[in-house]
Amino acid sequence: MPVTRRQFIKRGAGMVTVGIVIPKFWLSAARGEQIDFTPRRKLVVIQLAGGNDGFNTVVPYTDARYHSLRPTLAFRDAELKTNNGTSTIISNEFGLHPAMGEIKALYDEGRVAIVLGVGYPNPNLSHFLSMDIWHTADPNGVGSRGWLGKYADLALIGQPSLTAASIGSLDLPKSFGAERFVVPNIINFSLYNFIADPNYPGDYNNQTNTFNFAAGRTLSTGSFIGAINNTAFESVRGAQQVQKSISNYKSSIAYPANNPLAAGLQMVAQLMTTVPEASLLYVQMGGFDSHSDQIGDRQADRGNKGVGDHATLLKWFSEAIKLFHDDLTEHGLADDVLMMQWSEFGRRPDENASFGTDHGTAAPIFVLGNPVRSGLYGAQPSLAATELDPAGNVKFNVDFREVYATILDRWLGADSKAVLGAQYPNVGFLG
Amino acid sequence: MAGITYDAAAHLLRRMGFGGSPAEIDDITSRGREGAVDLLINYEQIDNRAMEDMLRSSFDFSDPFDFPRFNRGELQRWWFTRMTYTRRPFEEKMTLFWHNHFATSASKTGDLFVYNQNLTLRSHALDQFESLLLRVAQDPAMLLWLDGITNVRGKPNENFARELQELFTMGITDAVTGEPNYTEQDVKEIARAFTGWKFFHPRNDPNPFSYQFIVNPPEHDNTTKTIYGGTQWARTGNLDGADVIGVICARRATARYVVKKLFDFFVYPLGEAIDRATIEKFADVYMNRNHSIKELVSAIFTSDEFFSQRARFALVKSPVEIIVGPIRMLGARYNPGASAREAASNNILPAVSIFLGQELFNPPDVSGWKLNLGWINTSTLLNRFTYADLLAINRTRDLNAPGLWLSQEQLRSLAKKNSKKTVKKLLSILGPLDVGSEIVAALRNYLESDDGGNSAGFAPDDLTIDKKVRGLIHLIMCLSEFQLN
Repeated sequence: MPVTRRQFIKRGAGMVTVGIVIPKFWLSAARGEQIDFTPRRKLVVIQLAGGNDGFNTVVPYTDARYHSLRPTLAFRDAELKTNNGTSTIISNEFGLHPAMGEIKALYDEGRVAIVLGVGYPNPNLSHFLSMDIWHTADPNGVGSRGWLGKYADLALIGQPSLTAASIGSLDLPKSFGAERFVVPNIINFSLYNFIADPNYPGDYNNQTNTFNFAAGRTLSTGSFIGAINNTAFESVRGAQQVQKSISNYKSSIAYPANNPLAAGLQMVAQLMTTVPEASLLYVQMGGFDSHSDQIGDRQADRGNKGVGDHATLLKWFSEAIKLFHDDLTEHGLADDVLMMQWSEFGRRPDENASFGTDHGTAAPIFVLGNPVRSGLYGAQPSLAATELDPAGNVKFNVDFREVYATILDRWLGADSKAVLGAQYPNVGFLG
Repeated sequence: MAGITYDAAAHLLRRMGFGGSPAEIDDITSRGREGAVDLLINYEQIDNRAMEDMLRSSFDFSDPFDFPRFNRGELQRWWFTRMTYTRRPFEEKMTLFWHNHFATSASKTGDLFVYNQNLTLRSHALDQFESLLLRVAQDPAMLLWLDGITNVRGKPNENFARELQELFTMGITDAVTGEPNYTEQDVKEIARAFTGWKFFHPRNDPNPFSYQFIVNPPEHDNTTKTIYGGTQWARTGNLDGADVIGVICARRATARYVVKKLFDFFVYPLGEAIDRATIEKFADVYMNRNHSIKELVSAIFTSDEFFSQRARFALVKSPVEIIVGPIRMLGARYNPGASAREAASNNILPAVSIFLGQELFNPPDVSGWKLNLGWINTSTLLNRFTYADLLAINRTRDLNAPGLWLSQEQLRSLAKKNSKKTVKKLLSILGPLDVGSEIVAALRNYLESDDGGNSAGFAPDDLTIDKKVRGLIHLIMCLSEFQLN
C-alpha cells in the first residue's frame, strides 16, 4: 500500500525512505490506459541541436550535383578516410564524414542503421518551430507535450524507481513534455541533492519534513505553481534515490574530458548500469548551426574540410557513441539499448560564402546499437535542380514520425498510434 | 496623490526591478501608480554614485585584452553587482529584457563585444524601437553572432535576415491575426540588403572598446530588392539594411510582437484569443507614440492589466531574480570583492546563476532563455534550493570579506519575539507571500522543533536565530510560492 504525501509527512523525522511515495492522482491515472513497461528495452535519444548538415555527414560522394553545389565544402572520394587512413565509404553512393571513423566501424559490424531523407511536409526553416515539430510529433509544433512525454504518461507512471531522464543539459527537452509524469533532468550527479545547513545536522530531518509537507500539497494543476510543486517533490525524492544508486557504477571505459556528448553518455551509462528501471534517456549536444566555419576558416587551415566546427562535432558524436557502446557491452547491456539521433533539419545543399551552409530540410538520421538491422533505409533526396524547391531545398522521403513509430512499436512495445495520434509505416530498421 | 497598496508596490518593484526592501516598498506605496512608475522609469534622475564607486573599486575594465581582469566571469560579476546595488533597478531589468530579446552569446562573439552590446542595450533601452534595433544590428556583437560580417554580395548568409524577422521584430506569424508575416523569398531579399556590413577599430582611437560600423561597398549588393511583395508592405528598390529595419518597425505586426514580448516578460503570459484586445490596445501606443519603448512600457506598467490579480505572481522568477531578489529584500550583504580572481567567493553569484540555468552573456541560443516553466526542472529546482541554503547560512565575522553574507545582526532585526510573528515577518519580506495557514503552521512548527522533531518552543536567542531563523529563510525560499514573481 503506497503512502500519500501527507501520511508520509506525519510519520515523522527520518522514519521512511522517500523512495516509495507515489502521489495518489498518478496511480489512479495510471490505472487507465497503461502500456506494459518493459525495462529491459532501453532507448537513448541524442539530439544534435542547430540543424546538422546531412550532406556532409552521409556524403553522396558520387553525385555530381553535390560537388557542383558545394565547390568548397564537398568531400571527394579520396578524402573519405580517417586520420588513420581507414576509408569511411559505406557504399557506391555514400561515405561517412571522415571524422566518423568509430561509427563507420560500428556500421561494418552491423550496428548502425541510417535512414536517408528524413523530414516532414511543409518544412519550417526556423530552428525553434522545427524543433517543436520534432519534439511534439505535431506538424504544427503546437502544445507542450512531447512524444516521449506522451509515452512516459502512458508507460512509466507508477514505477517506483527512476525510469526516464534528460541528462547533462540545463533544459528539459520538449520531447519530454508530459501531462502527469515529471521527467527528471540531471545536469550532474554531485549537485543532484537536497542540501541543508551542515552546521546543524540534527535539524536536517526537520527541514526535509517541512519541505516535503509543503511540496506534498496538491496545488492547482495546469498552473505554474502546481507544476513547480510536483517538480519540487519529485526532485527531492528522486535525488535521494539517484544518490544511493550511482555510486555503484564501475567501468573500465575512459571517457575523454573534452567531449561534451561523451560526458552526457557516461552519465547515461552510470544510470543504466545502476538503476535497472532506467530505460528512457535523452542527451543533447548543440553547435550544429553551421552558417559559417563549418570547415576550416582560420588562416592556417582555410578551406580544410578535415577541421572546422562540423568535423569537431561529428568527431565528438562518433567517439562518444563508440565509448558508450563499449561501456554497455562491458556491463552486458548492449543488446538492450537502442540509440536514435536527430536534428531539427539539415542544411541546404548549396554552400554560402562563409565556409558554411544555411538552414535546409531533410537529412539522414542514425539509429544505432546491437538491436538494429544495419544498413540504409529511406531514399536519398534528389539534388537535381528540377527537384529542389524554390528556396533550393530538397524534398523529404521519410516522415520522422515513421521513425518514431518504428521505435515505439518495434522496440518499446507501445502502440505508436496512441502516442503519435495516427498510424505510420514501419521503416524496417528493427526486426 | 492616492497611494497604492503595499502588495501592489511590492509587485511593481519585483517586476520593474528585483524586489525591494520594506523601506523601498513603503516609499513606493505613497506615490500612486503614475508617480511610482514615473520614478522607476525616469531612472537617469536617480543618483547612482554609490554603486558607481563600488564598481570602480571592484573592477578594472581599462584593457579588454587583459584577460585576468576582463573576462566573461568578470562581466557577469560586474552585472550582478549592478543589479544588486543599483538604485535604478528598472535600468538593469530593461537591459536584461533586451539581452534576452537580442540573445547574443559571448561564446561566439567574445567578451569585449558582448560587453559593448550590454552598454548599448543599457543606454538605449527606452529609445524608439528602430533606433535601438539599428544600433544593435550595427554593433560588432550582432554582426558576429548572426554572421553579418560574412554576408556578402553574390553569396548571402541568411542568418541575421531570418532571426531579425522571426525573433527580433515580428515573429513568423502575426501575434493577433496568425497570418504569416514573411516568406522565404523575403529572407533571401533581406539578406541581400544587409550584405557588406562590417565594423572596425579606428586606428587613432585610444579607446580599445571603441568600434565603428561601416558598409563595405564592394561587398554590398547594390541592386534592386523586393520585400514583402504582394502585400501592403511591399517595397522595391536598392534597399539597404537600415531601410529594411525602417519598414519592419513600421508594421503593426512588429508592434504586436513587441507588446507580446514585453507582456510575457513583465506582466503575464498572453494567451491566444482572450488577449487580442490587450495586444491591440498597447500596439496602438507603440504606433501612436512614434515606436517609443519608454512610452510603451510606461503605458503597460500603469495599466489595469499590470495591477490586476491575474498578473500577481503570474510569472516564474528567472534565476537572476531568484538570486538578486532575496539579497535586496533581506538586506543581505554581497561583496563583489576586488578585480581579478582573488577567491572563488568573489564569483559566487555568477556561479550560482549558471547552475540555475541562466548564464549571463551566454544565452542558450538566439531565441533567448525559455521563461516560466522553462526555468524549472528537477535539476534547476534542486539548485535553487541549494542557493537558498547558501544565502541563508553564509556566516562571517568580517562583513567586508568578498562573498554573500547574512549577518547575525541583520537576522536579529528580522526575528520577532514569537514564532508566529517571525514567520509572518519573513514571509512578508520575501514576497509578500500568501501561503495559507497550513504552511504558516508548518513553518512555525519547524521553528519550534528540536532535533528529535518535538516541540521545544521558540525564543529568539543567538543560537536559535543562527540555527532556526536561517533554516526558516532556507525553507521559505524553497516554497513553490517563492519561485513565482
